[in-house]
Amino acid sequence: MRIKHSSLKHTKAFWLFVTPSLALFTIFFLVPFVLSIFFSFTDYDGWKTMNFVGLNNYKAVLKDSYFWDAIGRTLVYTVFSLPFRVFLPLIIAVFACSRKVAMKGFIRTLIYIPVLLSSLVVGVTINWMFSTEYGLVNYIIQSLGFQPLDWALNSKLATFVISFASNWSSLGFNMILYIGGIKSISGEMYEAAEIDGSSPLQTFLRITLPLLAPTTFLVFFLSSINLLKEYAVVQGITQGGPGVRTVFIIQYIITSGFSQMQYGYGSAISFIIAIFFAIIAFLQFKLSNKGGENV
Amino acid sequence: MKTLRQRYSVPLTIMMLVVAFLCVFPIIWLILSSFKQPNELFSYPLHLFSADPTLVHYQNILDDGFMRYVYNSFFLAIVGTLITLAISSLCGYALAIYRNELKYVNFVFGIFLLGTLIPGETLTIPQVSVISALGLYNNIFGVILPVVTSTTGIFLFRQSYMSLPSSFVEAARIDGANEAKIFTRVMMPLQTSSFVTLTIFSFMWRWNDYLLPMLVLSDQDNFTIQVAIRNYIGTTRIDWSSVISSSVVSMIPVIIIFVILQKYIIGGISAGGVKA
Repeated sequence: MRIKHSSLKHTKAFWLFVTPSLALFTIFFLVPFVLSIFFSFTDYDGWKTMNFVGLNNYKAVLKDSYFWDAIGRTLVYTVFSLPFRVFLPLIIAVFACSRKVAMKGFIRTLIYIPVLLSSLVVGVTINWMFSTEYGLVNYIIQSLGFQPLDWALNSKLATFVISFASNWSSLGFNMILYIGGIKSISGEMYEAAEIDGSSPLQTFLRITLPLLAPTTFLVFFLSSINLLKEYAVVQGITQGGPGVRTVFIIQYIITSGFSQMQYGYGSAISFIIAIFFAIIAFLQFKLSNKGGENV
Repeated sequence: MKTLRQRYSVPLTIMMLVVAFLCVFPIIWLILSSFKQPNELFSYPLHLFSADPTLVHYQNILDDGFMRYVYNSFFLAIVGTLITLAISSLCGYALAIYRNELKYVNFVFGIFLLGTLIPGETLTIPQVSVISALGLYNNIFGVILPVVTSTTGIFLFRQSYMSLPSSFVEAARIDGANEAKIFTRVMMPLQTSSFVTLTIFSFMWRWNDYLLPMLVLSDQDNFTIQVAIRNYIGTTRIDWSSVISSSVVSMIPVIIIFVILQKYIIGGISAGGVKA
């Protein structure tokens, strides 16, 4: 009797504690998710019209060349950016942990500072350096006797600037993840390597790199997801231009939904992309568990 | 002294200092640019420092009513953070403490896990519909309430309360404390570092929020700094004077917080998965 009474009290307490988070999460995440499935079968314009159109939106998405272009562009951008995103912070983290480097705290602090900026301001800051007229980078290029580059009107160069900005702003964060990984490697390993006369490069390739594999894996997946959903940085640099040459997938969803008032069509794209991200996250979960078992 | 000289390598240290300096240089360049005369911004040769420093770019945005946007950004960041702290500490605590007592606790935890699978960015269209349906369009609470449930925050508190021995709770129950009192008087004070960590991160997330504010806050009076910057960028030609000065203003609070409270930020990331 007594036990039953107290467990009822705990049930009440549990729901009382959980409800605020659960309610807000339901209203602003679960309901929108269900709505996006529902909208995707209609021609909702965000205003008055809403007719059931079956699979028409999905059929239209498959035939929409702008959609496939946006996907292709996003994938190229991600693949192009990933190596810098994953390996540059690794190399910097190794040096930022080295016994031979003084003022490590100060160095790490400076490298981390760009992480603090909003993505939009990251875009603005880098855009200002790469501005075609009177930008610092073009000034340096001209001072060296070369022709200034058209950073905004050449789609390859524009993509490069976006990638540069994005990788710059995530460098410090990934460096901290790697430093955490390096610190968890036992110091005895390094001592033993040093006694055996291993060169710094050998130590890096034979000890640091293999033992850091779980961290590298984490950085790889976090980076892939963040690159695939790149949006705000682009708004600070090209806003999608020249033309639509730097419109990535999230921007395509938002433009087709809001600017063109095609909520139904936009929702169909959203749903496809949401499932795509869910698969990536699921794979990450599976693979990282498997990795844990093997080690 | 001799050992120190043996330990540190001067070339390596200098190399790393150069790398670190290059990392902050774009920010320094933007800040220095914000004090240059308009004609210095748009003519060659470029100089690091202005020959005649000016506050004209800051005056421009002040005349545009920038203090209003600053106020809105602080309101979003502070109110959003307070709500996040309150609801995620309660939720994480309940998910940790009752996990062995009640069957469905892990099921509820699983629901929150769904939130980590799908990026919120893909759900903006229906989210804005929900916000409008609730009458929160063009209302600062329309950009606060959708984002205050932080899975990261819930995980953080769940993890930290799971690390406390359950005998704390049992002892308090025997002493006759009710469940709410056990949370506020016994358990909450033991996790101050989690509160500090989440306060810092939540403030920075909300301060830098961009996508939802841009879609929901249509009236200029309700703009946050981020929305104002996007507005200065415009669609055809960038208003660099306002963009540069407002961007510099937007950096100030987060950099101050970072410099003072660094160890919590670095600790939060290394301890596992607080996303920046």
